[in-house]
Amino acid sequence: MKKIEAIIKPFKLDEVKNALTKIGVQGMTATEVKGFGRQRGHTEVYRGAEYKIDFLPKVRIELIITEEMVPQVIETIERAAKTGKIGDGKIFVSSVEEVIRIRTGERGRDAI
Amino acid sequence: MQFELGITKNGFSDTKNRMAQSLAVHSSPKEFLRQNSDMVDGLVRKAFQIAQSQVASPSVCLIAVGGYGRAELAPHSDIDLLLLYSSSQKEALPPLIEKILYPLWDLGLDVSCSSRSIEECLKMAQSDLHIKTGLIDSRYLDGEYEFFRNLYGLFTKKVLHRKVQRFAEGLAKDLHLRHQKYEDPAHVLEPNIKEGEGGLRDFQIGRWIIRAKYKTDRWDSILFPDHSRMLDKSLQLLWAVRNQLHILSGRRQDNLTFELQEKIAPILGFPHATEGIEEMMRQYHLSTQRISNFVHDILERTLYEPSWVKKAFFFFQRKKIDENFGIAYGELHLLDPVIFKRDPTQLMTLFEHCQTHQANMDFRIEEAAIEALPFIDDRFRNSEMVNQTFLSILRKGKGVENLLRKMHELGFLSRYIPEFSDVEGKVHYDLYHVHPVDVHSILAVEELARLREGRYQKDYPLLTSLIKEVEKPEILFLTALLHDIGKGREGDHALVGAEMVTRIGGRMGLSVEERDLIRFLVSHHLFMLETAFRRDLHDEQVIFRFANDVKNLNELKMLYLLTFADVKAVGPEAWTSWKNTLLMELFLKTSHFFERDAVTGPFLKGDEMIKTLEKSLSPEIFSEYAEHLPDRYLSSYSSTEIAHHIEIAHSIEKELLLVEWEIEKEIRAKVTVCTKDRYGLFSRITGSMFLNRLNILEAQIHTWGNGIALDIFWVEDATKDVERRLQQFKKDLGEILGGKVSLKDLLAKRKESNGIKQKVIPKVLGDVKINNQDSDFYTIVEVIGEDRLGILYEITETLTDNGCDIHFARISTLGNRIVDVFYVQDTWGEKIEGKNRMDHLKQTLLNRLTSPTPSLPLESELQPQVTRIETP
Repeated sequence: MKKIEAIIKPFKLDEVKNALTKIGVQGMTATEVKGFGRQRGHTEVYRGAEYKIDFLPKVRIELIITEEMVPQVIETIERAAKTGKIGDGKIFVSSVEEVIRIRTGERGRDAI
Repeated sequence: MQFELGITKNGFSDTKNRMAQSLAVHSSPKEFLRQNSDMVDGLVRKAFQIAQSQVASPSVCLIAVGGYGRAELAPHSDIDLLLLYSSSQKEALPPLIEKILYPLWDLGLDVSCSSRSIEECLKMAQSDLHIKTGLIDSRYLDGEYEFFRNLYGLFTKKVLHRKVQRFAEGLAKDLHLRHQKYEDPAHVLEPNIKEGEGGLRDFQIGRWIIRAKYKTDRWDSILFPDHSRMLDKSLQLLWAVRNQLHILSGRRQDNLTFELQEKIAPILGFPHATEGIEEMMRQYHLSTQRISNFVHDILERTLYEPSWVKKAFFFFQRKKIDENFGIAYGELHLLDPVIFKRDPTQLMTLFEHCQTHQANMDFRIEEAAIEALPFIDDRFRNSEMVNQTFLSILRKGKGVENLLRKMHELGFLSRYIPEFSDVEGKVHYDLYHVHPVDVHSILAVEELARLREGRYQKDYPLLTSLIKEVEKPEILFLTALLHDIGKGREGDHALVGAEMVTRIGGRMGLSVEERDLIRFLVSHHLFMLETAFRRDLHDEQVIFRFANDVKNLNELKMLYLLTFADVKAVGPEAWTSWKNTLLMELFLKTSHFFERDAVTGPFLKGDEMIKTLEKSLSPEIFSEYAEHLPDRYLSSYSSTEIAHHIEIAHSIEKELLLVEWEIEKEIRAKVTVCTKDRYGLFSRITGSMFLNRLNILEAQIHTWGNGIALDIFWVEDATKDVERRLQQFKKDLGEILGGKVSLKDLLAKRKESNGIKQKVIPKVLGDVKINNQDSDFYTIVEVIGEDRLGILYEITETLTDNGCDIHFARISTLGNRIVDVFYVQDTWGEKIEGKNRMDHLKQTLLNRLTSPTPSLPLESELQPQVTRIETP
């Protein structure tokens, strides 16, 4: 089992979610986060003074999937979240030791 | 484990597996859908009854909607339920629903349930297309039957049969938006069986409209029997594929990915390996094409049916074209409904009228045309009048791509040119060829038509002016349509196709010269692009040979236009500005040859160049370098360029390495690298470029007599970050050549992470061709193989290890296939000749192509001191 975490532009959330449900992803968690990468924040002028905004609003989605689905999920997120401009985000893949569904106590694949 | 429904999760999936296994044996996919749905019915009813017995239950009715309502349930389809209640008992519902759903969820079923009153249903169905279509397919499961009867009666009367046109408009819009999402090449190669064009959803749209408009559940009742039989066959194929998709992936997977194409083809009885996959995908494309035609036909009938008022008015607006055809509102209609059967040649006249009057066909005419297809026989195909009309349509050229598309869609084209039916739906199992051959061929015609209309005036002015000079545009269009007709037959498809078009041309009554021209163009349709993309165009001999084969300027023009159309129609990524540049260069050089009967390229010959240089350089520099400059080098550049190169070479006495570049169109750069020649230099340069994600397109490698290496590269970076990458490349190369870092270490860091599974894509078979004929001085090595990180570096390293000096390289990537061409000599400046040497070189290269873990360079052995730097 793998965990996919993706940081994406907030307005892309719906598109990414729809694309993922279409390929059979059953559930995911989305969090509003702030951060910066190469994009490094942009400056905005407010009442004549320039303010540097270091952190930009992003959305982080997390989902746990089986190994076989990894390539397709990555491809789907890449395609749906891409605008081609800086700040499109990143995708992280990591291994997950165990998943447990609390209500039933199911473990592993069954609990995804 | 839950036993509430008398079955455990494991027991349930065992049952499913057994059904799946029997599916492979019985192979009626539709039957499987029903069985699966019946099994789920049993479970849902049981859950419902248990829930009712446990919860103080209001009177409700349980209904299946959507695909489940149709009893078409693929192994992992979602199950949509509707719980109808009478409005007073809303509070008692949540505990009941919970009791129904939990045990079903625990079995792993993907169930969703909405609860509404009849009034709510009707109201929502009026405003929400999705709910409306879901209700069309609703089916009673359990509970109060009266509720269901009421709902369905009111729904059909008040919602479904009203405002049919607006319903169709809504569905048409939905279809259009959905197709937009799936039209990019990735989705054509790995189609979505449900949502893609001609997929299962499209079929449902057609069915729903028939249900609403003709008030029948029998969609086939409004079609010709042949037509509906074919459509049913198409559906069966899609269902069969979809069932396997779900079973193999264990989830609701509707994307027919490469990996699954490979697995499903043998299960469905197609032969193993590539042919099986290609045949399955051919059937798949033919099926979706039929479904797509079906739904568009139904939509057209519904959307464009004139109102009664319009019809009455229309009666006076009719304009007669001839005794058989009339025109009104830009649509052609038949005056004599059986004319096509009586005189099939009128079918071709129909297309001619469409072109002349820029009119569409109304659906009745299309139906009549389809019905008359069996009357197209050899007499029709040999009829002078028919053939002349067809050629005249092509000659006029106006809207020719749409007319051909219509002919194709109606099935007319493959009756008229039966050879064409063999390439319908024919696909290549690779990443490069996006479209099936028939679609590709019509797209090629479309590209030419666009060119002729002047739509590429800004991007391709030369081609635009050339197409206007073509004397017989009909031959060009016909060639574009038929250039790949030999595909799928044994032998070289260009040669086989050339024989076929000669026969077709004879049938169509083309003159001998015209037939010779079309035979030449089809047999040579890959010749120009292979010469341009795989040969050194600085080499006079290449131009000379090419010109000799092409013979004259007219054929050259036609071939250039055809090559453009062919590459452009492969897919949006196939045609690049680089390919454009190369083809144009070949065209211009060859046309100069025809005009002046000699390859007088833009540059001077060796000794003339030396004289010119003598005047422009200072005497001491001239005398130092002049004798070391090889002939091939001298005839490849202008005197200013050469003078500049000498300046660079002079300065590296101090600097060791000099790299400079000019950026062109943001993504491309010409990079000059000058340094002292040393063993393995070229592979280190390519390695450093690869490290910095620079794609090499072409390399000219010059080694002067005094040990100066001057290499000129064309590189590309699609992310438009060339400047930054080149800066880093310069730094890396300097450190590598200076022995500060090892290329091996840097490359090791760049290797793809291996922790996760990679996507499965079509394999490319490696091939190596060693050619000693095409050049007088060099052996041309062509390497074809599957692209992977750093492959160019590995190939050049292998060549160097085999004692090959690389003088020129041209690199192309087609999808995941690389075609790299190298002009090489051995260390004594001779060709690589002799069977043993050639075989050995070929074998080493092939081994390297297939070995997944190649040995890395020797630097670490050569350089004891290694400092690491971080990769960018």
